[in-house]
Amino acid sequence: MARSGLQRDVLSLYRQCMRAVREKPAETRENFRSFARTGFRDHITVNKKDFSTIEYLLRKGRRQLEIYQDPGIRNISK
Amino acid sequence: MFRVALLRSARQAIRAAPRCQTPIARPVARSSLFQPKQITPAAYFQGVRCYSASVDLSKDEVQGRIMDLLKNFDKVQDTSKLTGDSHFHNDLGLDSLDTVEVVMAIEEEFSIEIPDKEADAIHSVKQAVDYILAQPDAH
Repeated sequence: MARSGLQRDVLSLYRQCMRAVREKPAETRENFRSFARTGFRDHITVNKKDFSTIEYLLRKGRRQLEIYQDPGIRNISK
Repeated sequence: MFRVALLRSARQAIRAAPRCQTPIARPVARSSLFQPKQITPAAYFQGVRCYSASVDLSKDEVQGRIMDLLKNFDKVQDTSKLTGDSHFHNDLGLDSLDTVEVVMAIEEEFSIEIPDKEADAIHSVKQAVDYILAQPDAH
């Protein structure tokens, strides 16, 4: 399956998020994982030709990742 | 007087030498039967090196561990379709996000890190098994 550059960016961000989840304390890891999952799943219906929306969501996702990656954040509400 | 002492110490050295060399020399002697031309200093030391020898994973073991991991993955609903040749999307109904999670779980299972580019190319159990088998530091 050939993927566009944008699709690869989305998957790469998802992978980064999943890697970041591993750094969190074991007991709250699931909360972070489901937070990241729903963050992506909520927008699964976005048309793949809708580049500006996807790019906006990517930017938003990257910023969120940056914020939540902080080791000071140890838990997140589900 | 001096010559006698020299001769005696030389004789002792000859007698002592084979005793301490045998454990090292034995594997080399054995392998020299098969490939007499490839004896190099590096091969000499391989006979006594046992701590950091790489663990050879068998294909069955790798496949079994990956299948167990998929069995426990909550997004795989129909485990009856799970075989050594299953395709993540076509057989198991996983989408691209799930595939990323599966590949990450495989990373954790075998304690390796798969670069993005290679991770993107893994779409089936078989591809994952082949990839792991090709990694020398997977265990």
